[in-house]
Amino acid sequence: MQFLLPAAGLALLTVPAIVLLYFLKVRRPEVRVSTLMFWRRFVADRQANAPWQRLRPSLLLLLQLLGAIVLGIGLMRPGLVGAAGINATTVVMIDASPSMAATDVSPSRFGAAVDRARSLAGQMQPGQQMAVILLSDHAQLLAAPTGDASLIRSALDRARLSGTPGDFAEGISLANSILTGRPGGSIILFSDGHSRAPSSPARVVAPLTYQSIGTTGENAAIETMARSASGSVFLRVANYGRNTRDIKIEMRADGRLTDVLPMKLEGNTTTDLTWSRLPASTQVLEAKLTPGDAFALDDRAWLVIAEPPRHNILLVTAENGFLEKALKLRPGVEVTTVKPADYKPGRYDLVVFDGFVPTGKLPEPALLVNPPAGQGPVPLGAAIDPGSVLPGDVRDPLLSHVSLRELHVQSAAAVKPPAGWRTVISAAAGPLMLIKEDEPRDALLTFDLHHSDLPLQAAFPILVQNLLDYLLPGGFENQVFAPSQAVTLIPEPGAKWADVTGPDGHTTRLTPPAGSQAFPPFTASDQPGVYSVRQQLSSGQRQSRFVVQLQDPSISRIAPGAEPFLQPLDKPPGTLPRGTLEIWPFLVAAGVVLLVIEWLVYLINPTRSWIRRGIRGTGA
Amino acid sequence: MVLSAAELALLGRLDLAYRRPRSGLYAGERRSPRSARSPEFADFRPYVAGDDFRQIDWPAYARLEKLMLRLYVAEEEACLNVVLDTSGSMAMGQPPKWQAARRLAAALSFVGLAAMDRVQVGCLGGGRLPPMRGRDGVSRVWTFLESLEPAGETGPAELRRVQWARPGLTVVISDFLVEDGSWSPPVAGLASRRQEPVLWQVLAPEEEHPSITGDLKLIDVETERTRELTITPGLVADYHRALAAHRSELARAAQSAGGRFLHSGSADDLEATILAGLRAGVVRRS
Repeated sequence: MQFLLPAAGLALLTVPAIVLLYFLKVRRPEVRVSTLMFWRRFVADRQANAPWQRLRPSLLLLLQLLGAIVLGIGLMRPGLVGAAGINATTVVMIDASPSMAATDVSPSRFGAAVDRARSLAGQMQPGQQMAVILLSDHAQLLAAPTGDASLIRSALDRARLSGTPGDFAEGISLANSILTGRPGGSIILFSDGHSRAPSSPARVVAPLTYQSIGTTGENAAIETMARSASGSVFLRVANYGRNTRDIKIEMRADGRLTDVLPMKLEGNTTTDLTWSRLPASTQVLEAKLTPGDAFALDDRAWLVIAEPPRHNILLVTAENGFLEKALKLRPGVEVTTVKPADYKPGRYDLVVFDGFVPTGKLPEPALLVNPPAGQGPVPLGAAIDPGSVLPGDVRDPLLSHVSLRELHVQSAAAVKPPAGWRTVISAAAGPLMLIKEDEPRDALLTFDLHHSDLPLQAAFPILVQNLLDYLLPGGFENQVFAPSQAVTLIPEPGAKWADVTGPDGHTTRLTPPAGSQAFPPFTASDQPGVYSVRQQLSSGQRQSRFVVQLQDPSISRIAPGAEPFLQPLDKPPGTLPRGTLEIWPFLVAAGVVLLVIEWLVYLINPTRSWIRRGIRGTGA
Repeated sequence: MVLSAAELALLGRLDLAYRRPRSGLYAGERRSPRSARSPEFADFRPYVAGDDFRQIDWPAYARLEKLMLRLYVAEEEACLNVVLDTSGSMAMGQPPKWQAARRLAAALSFVGLAAMDRVQVGCLGGGRLPPMRGRDGVSRVWTFLESLEPAGETGPAELRRVQWARPGLTVVISDFLVEDGSWSPPVAGLASRRQEPVLWQVLAPEEEHPSITGDLKLIDVETERTRELTITPGLVADYHRALAAHRSELARAAQSAGGRFLHSGSADDLEATILAGLRAGVVRRS
């Protein structure tokens, strides 16, 4: 322990001063009376105004001395020497990855990280500054460098967990920009090692202290729950820990416990099982692992059993069996295939044109595959060799579970994305897949499927399903989304608004902005569970559901990770100053409590013998 | 002059209320339990051997042919003993208790002397006036009372030392504010000496209802003892309770000795004080 302000020890002189005051005697007016026999002995503690009397035992004196000693020591700012100290400018980075929700440390890894950051804010000395960066989907600067601990605490109160792993590279970049030109800076990272690692070792401009949070990797999860065409339910359960676990899976149909499936899971294994006791007319099936573990986000899974809405899709193609089969994989879809020559506009939920584009206005929505040059909503150029396919954005819902690593495209049409269109898949020489983001929605594949190996890959049917999710009205229905992922609700024709009710009962109303028919993305999807959507149509209301749950093994592996790999500093970091954990707030609080007790003892009627002994004098 | 003419006129209509007549040494104006020659007929009784022939009622013998003795009421003097507390505490109060107590002693003496009782006035602190009878003694009593000054310390033990010439009514006028010792034994000692005790307490208004408050140092005027106090409403309430208990103790001591206890205030005028005596049955209207 050390004292940061030893000079404040002069305040302890109040201790002898208090004792001195007790030596002083109260000058009481003298009154002559006939007798003292009716006056009970009672002397309250008063200010003294005459010198010297015998010091009498007093509870009040004891409490005042204790209060003065505690407050005096508190003023000297005692502190316990800590491991990580505060430098001139400290950037605190807090990992908000989903794994930080694990409760193997109290109250959670994320809560513990925030608490430690709050403690560091309390240790700031005059002249020191601190900034806070939250590593979530993107790095967020919660608090710019400031010496005001209250601002830091206020910013920490706003910190929330993210649904996706934190972006460490962005966080380091932000920290570097803060610390550049600030000598004596340092970075403290509170993390469990599950933030997204940069592709190459990060460069830092100041020494980084990694404070690992988390104690265990023991976690079991329901990795997948799906329903087959035969009606049975497929479950994949994983044990990401090292120890064998005896677990049970509770199956609840519409909230009623229907079955309990016991199983023994070896460490680092997965087990598949099929369950076929699904009661008829079940709307929502829930599977839950018991007993729970430190990471509850992946212990439950939901399946919306309700019949999906029927959709009619028209496929206009000369011959494309791959595309036709991929479209028909979707439940509740009626696919009609016609030759281009036989095409007639009709009432379809989606029209897929393969190598053909009709003249005139396109039906809405439409999926264009390899349209002829110069036709269609997007002007296409000459055929080019697109080169190697670039990796897609893993956060793009259209590329969810789609691997582009082995995709090869022989030729594609040169295209420049017009306004309102976004490139989803691109190659070295140009885009391969575009989508129109505003209503009505369209999608465009710039290459002939037969001139690529895409239809032969597992990614093809998944990509088609993702496209159908995006293009079909109500494509989100019964689908599963990751926590905190923005859910795009495709409105039914004529939908005025949609109410989304989460598992906690909170309802969010989505209304298309003026001049648009599209709903804004639903972003309040941080809680796992079943979300219900109610769309207000001109002809009535439409009810549907979607599911938010964690099905990402990389997140479910919660064992604390290693320190991030960094480039060596350009200059030696020197020795980090040893910080101190100041304990004066506790001492001040104790002193205030003592003074309050002293005040209460002074006020209350001295009926208890021990109090009376303390506060009354010995009498004249 | 201790008492005014109006007060003397008031007292002239009063008489002391002895609970039972006492036999005196001399004939007086009080009815005696003994029969004697006097103008007032009392009763007949049969003659027995040894009776005085002179008391035989011969007209009755003529009618009844039985020897009957005629009995008359004996009138003898009664004794009033007034004991006045002259301790220092009697000088306390506003108005002082001493004035009220001295006037009370003068008044009772006047009533007794006017009724031809044998009156003796003494002090708890020592000193007394020889017994006297008749209105001639009034001036002597008053002179004696005016010569007294309250001072010093007295206590219940002083009551034992007072000399009692005759059995009678003993009125002790005091504030009875003594910390050491109990009043019960000396009061019981009065009864054993065939005295009918009357304990008449005189207190000042501030002793009945203390108005002092705050941090004070109280000094006992008799013992010079001191006590530092913080006087609060709660402490004053305790004072009232202790005073009431003290009075109950005095009343019990008086009753167990066949006597009475009463109290009056130093601010009361003589009429109010006598009214207290009337209520307690110590005096009565003649």
